[in-house]
Amino acid sequence: MSGHSSWPEWIYVGVVIALMVWVGAEAWNAERLVDHIPEDAEVIKVTGQQWFWSFEHEDGTKEIGELHVETGKAYKFEITSKDVNHSFNIHDYVVLMDAVPGRVNTVWFAPTEVGEHDIQCREYCGLIHYNMRGKLYVEEPSS
Amino acid sequence: MKKMIVLFLVLAVMVIVPVMESAFAAGDEPGKYLDRRVIIWNLFFKMMTVAFVVGAVVSGTIIWQCWRFRESNPKAKPTPYEGTDWSN
Repeated sequence: MSGHSSWPEWIYVGVVIALMVWVGAEAWNAERLVDHIPEDAEVIKVTGQQWFWSFEHEDGTKEIGELHVETGKAYKFEITSKDVNHSFNIHDYVVLMDAVPGRVNTVWFAPTEVGEHDIQCREYCGLIHYNMRGKLYVEEPSS
Repeated sequence: MKKMIVLFLVLAVMVIVPVMESAFAAGDEPGKYLDRRVIIWNLFFKMMTVAFVVGAVVSGTIIWQCWRFRESNPKAKPTPYEGTDWSN
């Protein structure tokens, strides 16, 4: 266009593209880090059903409504449901994954400090959904 | 104009190549123990910083434009596009 300089517009376009690329790369990288399960993570099978959570450790130990883990270890949850959709949530550790019948979803975490944390269902799953809770006990390593 | 295009091509390559390299390298290394709370909070913090800076720049530019090009601004002069014949 005559009598009109377009360089500020090109700079604007460049800045917008650079920002979008950067935002996308940062988000992608964070997702990659969070999704990347350590090789030595211990598998815990998590089953949701109306209206409680049950857990099965690698050694066959089963727990209902409560889960005992140790600091310094990584745990991979394999989450499924027996009836309707639930969502497995450990709020304090930002663990959140849907429990869907006929499907196994995975999420992992590595607890760092000894303590007790709430486990809850985060997908409305019926009358007693509000009380579909559990307790996570993070303990010192036994060995 | 050609210089600008070349400049932006160079900048684009400088940004895109490292991202592509890390993208193709992902998955090769074993997963590390990390605190997902820290990763997620850091991402949130960075995104919010960008969002507020961009928001401030954009809204600041709009406010400045409204002030600078208001009809009552003594510096406002009609352009040929608006017409310079004000007698009618």
